[in-house]
Amino acid sequence: MIVVTGSSRGLGLAICERLHSLGVDVFGLSRDVSNSTFPSMSCDVSSYEDVKKVVLTLKKQDKKVSGLVNAAGIASMNLAVTTPPTVSQKIIETNLLGTIFCCQLIAPLMMRNKCGSIMNFSTIAVSLGLKGESVYSASKAGVEGFTRSFAREMADFNINVNCIAPGPIDTSLLKGITANQIQKIVSQQIIPKQFSPDAICDLVELLLDPRSNSLSGQVLHVGGA
Amino acid sequence: MTDIRRGVFQIILDGIEDKTIQVNDDTPLISDGSVLDSMKLVELCLTLEDFAEEKGFEFDWTSDQAMSRSRSMFRTAGSLASEFINQMDAKK
Repeated sequence: MIVVTGSSRGLGLAICERLHSLGVDVFGLSRDVSNSTFPSMSCDVSSYEDVKKVVLTLKKQDKKVSGLVNAAGIASMNLAVTTPPTVSQKIIETNLLGTIFCCQLIAPLMMRNKCGSIMNFSTIAVSLGLKGESVYSASKAGVEGFTRSFAREMADFNINVNCIAPGPIDTSLLKGITANQIQKIVSQQIIPKQFSPDAICDLVELLLDPRSNSLSGQVLHVGGA
Repeated sequence: MTDIRRGVFQIILDGIEDKTIQVNDDTPLISDGSVLDSMKLVELCLTLEDFAEEKGFEFDWTSDQAMSRSRSMFRTAGSLASEFINQMDAKK
């Protein structure tokens, strides 16, 4: 089974739908799972207790978890000096702590089987140091650092941990960003074109494939950065 | 020594490669002189989870107490066994 966070929208939803369409046993986690078309459970990833409940459920179902995709994330375009503290806190709690909590609690399910693949999500905003995304970048830079260290800790258990860092992908996360702003970011990628969620789904499939098991602790920039 | 304590010690012993080592209350599990490396320590936790499930409770090895250096449950085999028994008694 592959556990995917942020499964109700954006990249998380696209990944779930792709895996589900391929017949992969997928389990989505999201705060709102009312419209889910695949097995899901309500979970706020920034709540340690919520994630713990998910783990207990999976254990009770005796599910063999072989992958975790931490796609849950929020963004807020704002200058650091004008970002309200509650917004900064929410971004760090969801993007960074949410990723850490899911890794801490769900990885042991894979450690028992001594195999698995974990994918965390960063952003091109980290490598480009994008103006107006400092708090968001900080949360994702934390995810990158966590990924590299956690990959070493998991290597003993034959679990690969990598980070996918997309450029601007056409999802609801880009709401409020103008076409010009997107084009400006895209032009700074090595491949200067805007990719669709399909490119991310392809990469997820690749990282779930045992043929990618020489890759761990890497930040993979979609579009190149 | 209770059966549970003996059971925890046996699980620790199973994870130690050097079978000449004896596990007692003072056997260190972390820091200097630890008989387990980090991988074996995590495997020990997973096995204790299963042991706890057999006994009808959930063993929590990720609490603040688990990670505190000064009062960590992983200080010694004895402190780990005591915490395991405490958690079992608390869940009754």
